Amino acid sequence: MQRFRADGFDEFVAARWSALLHVARLLTGGDRQRAEDLVQESLVKLWFAWPKVAEQAPEAYVRQVLVRLAARSARRRWWGERPVGELPDRPGPGDVSAAVAERSRLEAALALLTPRQRAAVVLRYYEDLPEGQVAQALGCPVGTARSHASRGVARLREILSDSARPVK
Amino acid sequence: MDDFERELTRMMREGRAHTPFDPGRRARLYDGIRARRRTRVLVRAGGSALAVAGLSVGLAFLPHLGSGPAPADLPLPATGSTAPPRSGGPTGAASATADPSTSLPPPDSTESGTPGGSTTTGPPMTDPGSTASGSVSPGTTEAGTSTPDVNGAPTYPPPSG
Repeated sequence: MQRFRADGFDEFVAARWSALLHVARLLTGGDRQRAEDLVQESLVKLWFAWPKVAEQAPEAYVRQVLVRLAARSARRRWWGERPVGELPDRPGPGDVSAAVAERSRLEAALALLTPRQRAAVVLRYYEDLPEGQVAQALGCPVGTARSHASRGVARLREILSDSARPVK
Repeated sequence: MDDFERELTRMMREGRAHTPFDPGRRARLYDGIRARRRTRVLVRAGGSALAVAGLSVGLAFLPHLGSGPAPADLPLPATGSTAPPRSGGPTGAASATADPSTSLPPPDSTESGTPGGSTTTGPPMTDPGSTASGSVSPGTTEAGTSTPDVNGAPTYPPPSG
């Protein structure tokens, strides 16, 4: 029974894990641990819905779950983090680079958006989804999704241009 | 899409790093699935227990509901005939489904509704649903059908109870 349920699930997760993790990281504004938690929770939900959605659009399903979980987790004040004595992963020497700096800048800017604006921008510009699918993932009308995306881009434009302004 | 939006797309896509789905992550994922399955089983078991408890309480109250008066004991609803029983008169049992045209008085009635001075005390013939409050001579109708019994005895329904 379980083998039947999970038929193709492992392959899907192995193929899409990296992409889902990157989307989750953008949706959380660069919070890697929270992104991993969100992907894990989305995939757990996908596993239970797998017999229904496996033949249809599992990626769309998991993307929708991910967006909603990200919006919900952004409203929480505490995500179950506990202080530890040592950092679990320290940055390596190669991490200090222009690419990482740019990514950090982008993630910091994304973190300043509202969760729905962030989700709309990520789905529209990173996933390159049409407005209808963005609206479906957000669970709102198309006009509202378009408004979230345009306001998010305007805010990012403002933030990134401020941070790129040379210091006098 | 303007230059900034293109640059935004490039920044989002360039920051993507390949993260393999290693066995540790797979084990963590399946731990999460098992934990969720346990939670669902517990929730379903709790729901079933609540349903059984609710049914039990309902069944416990059911005998009290069944001890009320039986439907045969209930008084019959009024069907429009309120005349007291009279011997030798017309049947007072008015049928609610009777045709209003059958409420015409018999031809030998002395109180035929002639337009000119007769004193009929029965209800108007075009209003079979109304009840008569005055005295009615035998042979006149009150409400509904009133066909004289061949034996001259009233044909009221038998008293119940």
